[in-house]
Amino acid sequence: MERRIALKQIALAAGGLLALPDWANAWTKTSVRSGYVLLDPTQSQVLVEMVDTLIPASDTLGAKALGVPDFVQKMVADCYEAPVQQNLKTGLEAVDAAAKAKFNQSFVRCDAAQRMEVLTQIEISPEASRKEFYSLVKNLTIQGYTTSEYVMTKFLHYNPIPGHFYGCVPAPIAQK
Amino acid sequence: METCAIEAAMKPNNREKNRRATVRYDAIVIGSGISGGWAAKELTGKGLKTLVLERGRDVKHVTDYPTANLNPWEFEHRGQVPLAVRAQYGNIRSFMREETLHWTIKPDEQPFVEEQPFTWTRGYHVGGKSLLWARQTQRWSDFDFEGPARDGFAVDWPIRYADIAPWYSYVEKFAGISGNKDGLPHLPDGEFLPPIELNCVETHFQGIIAQKYNDRQLIQGRCAHITDPQPIHIEQGRAQCQHRNLCVRGCPFGGYFSSNSSTLPWAEKTGNMTLRPHSVVHSIIYDEKKGRASGVRVIDANTKEMLEFYANVIFVNGSALNSNQILLNSTSSRFPNGLGNDNGLLGKFVAWHNYRGKISAQFDGFLDKTTDGKNPSNGYIPRFRNLHKQETSGPASRFLRGYAVGVGGGRGMVQNREGMGLALKEQLLNPQLGPWNVSGWMMGETVPIERNHVRLDANLKDKYGIPQLVTSAVWTENDDKMVVDYMEQMTEMFAAAGFINIKALDSHSNPGSDIHEMGGVRMGKDPKTSLLNEWNQLHSVKNVFVTDGACMTSTGTQNPSLTYMALTARAADYAVKQLKKKTL
Repeated sequence: MERRIALKQIALAAGGLLALPDWANAWTKTSVRSGYVLLDPTQSQVLVEMVDTLIPASDTLGAKALGVPDFVQKMVADCYEAPVQQNLKTGLEAVDAAAKAKFNQSFVRCDAAQRMEVLTQIEISPEASRKEFYSLVKNLTIQGYTTSEYVMTKFLHYNPIPGHFYGCVPAPIAQK
Repeated sequence: METCAIEAAMKPNNREKNRRATVRYDAIVIGSGISGGWAAKELTGKGLKTLVLERGRDVKHVTDYPTANLNPWEFEHRGQVPLAVRAQYGNIRSFMREETLHWTIKPDEQPFVEEQPFTWTRGYHVGGKSLLWARQTQRWSDFDFEGPARDGFAVDWPIRYADIAPWYSYVEKFAGISGNKDGLPHLPDGEFLPPIELNCVETHFQGIIAQKYNDRQLIQGRCAHITDPQPIHIEQGRAQCQHRNLCVRGCPFGGYFSSNSSTLPWAEKTGNMTLRPHSVVHSIIYDEKKGRASGVRVIDANTKEMLEFYANVIFVNGSALNSNQILLNSTSSRFPNGLGNDNGLLGKFVAWHNYRGKISAQFDGFLDKTTDGKNPSNGYIPRFRNLHKQETSGPASRFLRGYAVGVGGGRGMVQNREGMGLALKEQLLNPQLGPWNVSGWMMGETVPIERNHVRLDANLKDKYGIPQLVTSAVWTENDDKMVVDYMEQMTEMFAAAGFINIKALDSHSNPGSDIHEMGGVRMGKDPKTSLLNEWNQLHSVKNVFVTDGACMTSTGTQNPSLTYMALTARAADYAVKQLKKKTL
């Protein structure tokens, strides 16, 4: 009998939760939806390609395929003040303008090497707001990528239920 | 035990009165947190029909932990709370994460007046802060109980370690406490399940301390985690700690002790418990003719209707300051200044723990070693300052009492975030083990003083019509000097251990930031200078027991929850014995 109770609890735990009760709605999609799209279509496209340039696809998925551009936009729309949001917009426009000035075509039409050159120029820009823009997008891109299910489960040894704690064990040999 | 359920409601002669006085119980417990859960378990277990009142919503074990099994990528903002949501919480900052936001109250639930800055973290839902606590469970010793008498502050505790020791054992066995038998007189051993391991650097530090100091020790902190489930835990439906360290989301395994996983379901199984969420206690009803408390006035949080419930015995476990508020608001002709407040000391001598001192460092040894799994506990250095006597020379002579220290750390994974493109990607997919980090945090005893108090505001009321609580509490010179000593001593100890990049600081956090607020309804021997006797009964209203943090005469340095549990079980046992003897 007691054992059955324990098993039931664990089964519930393993099954996860299917629905959220009303009181937990403070952070659901409905309540945190911004009600507007932060970026216009051109800015959005530049963001997508910027994220893709920062962490591109190779023999493994890149940040773009993992939905990171949407994550970056959502984070800035929901979790940052208006001046930061504005700086994201002007920063993305500046990226596009820099591409046009340097390569005579929009950022999204540039090849990977050209895009990296443009982004490097932004990264080392003398303007503080440009540097901040670059850091913001890069940091959020890294956050979105490294906390994605794909990266955590396939590459970062994600183990939500270790079941033990060993205080002093040999360190795994560094991979590369 | 005689139960008189629904008796009052059945009397035919007063329809209005009957509508309000729905049910009569043997006992009422105000609050369902760590001490209220124990009161509920003990009273129902001894046959009392018990009403448990909780001002917040219900939280059922497992099913009401909505984030417990979510992965990082399932949080829309990876845990960060959107600004628009955050704005609804004013300057409340505790548990302000997507993982835990549902445990946080909004300011309009219980506004209070901070005469000086005070952080008051509340857990207003079934289970209270037993879902949110740090789960460290160190026993007090007579070095703590004898403190006020020895050093001449507050009043003498009416109990000693021998009075509470069997009750520590009693609650430890049920709750499940892991720890080492360390044989320290100032941090007595308990009924321990196997300890959690220290990590390489903690063990190294332990050795250095043992070698260089004869007055201090580093041990593994005792904690309320099941490391080897016993039949009593399996009977509760609880399993072994899985080392997820997601405890504050609620543990679906019941790996750590909470009211929700342990005491409340146990009370429920007796058939004697009625749990009533959304019940904001307004005040305790005092029967002037009988000279005792007769029940509790409750405001239904949903309907805002005032209800009355009656019982023979009332346990006040609303959390320290909220219990003060309830008693202060329980006025009558006999007690115009609050229930049991003949001496005017109700709400005074509020104290807490001094968590201001912090220290961090790194260690460049053991680079071939790391940890595996997650550690729900940490190293612990029991109090060593002014322990056996108050020093009269040397640095410890500058202040009264002392501090315990938590010690923790480990190796994090370090991302190389340089560059962009394929190189960056490769780096991110191959993070490297960083250096060993080690940190320490101070847990200082604060000396209760009359000036630090809570009281009711004369004009301001909350949305339930209850007068708002004024918190008036400041750090003292004693606290400041203790922080300085902590930083000096810990820097010296860290340096002796060969730690590098040592950074000690005073966070200057608000009083209350420790979430260990205590006192206001202190225990004592003399009704002239205390509110509660040695059984946690109000001296002048014997059927009211206060067994949460409000009862604390002094604060010790130990995380206090275990002591609240033991005091509650002890008081409940006493209360039922008195009821049976018809002397209550």
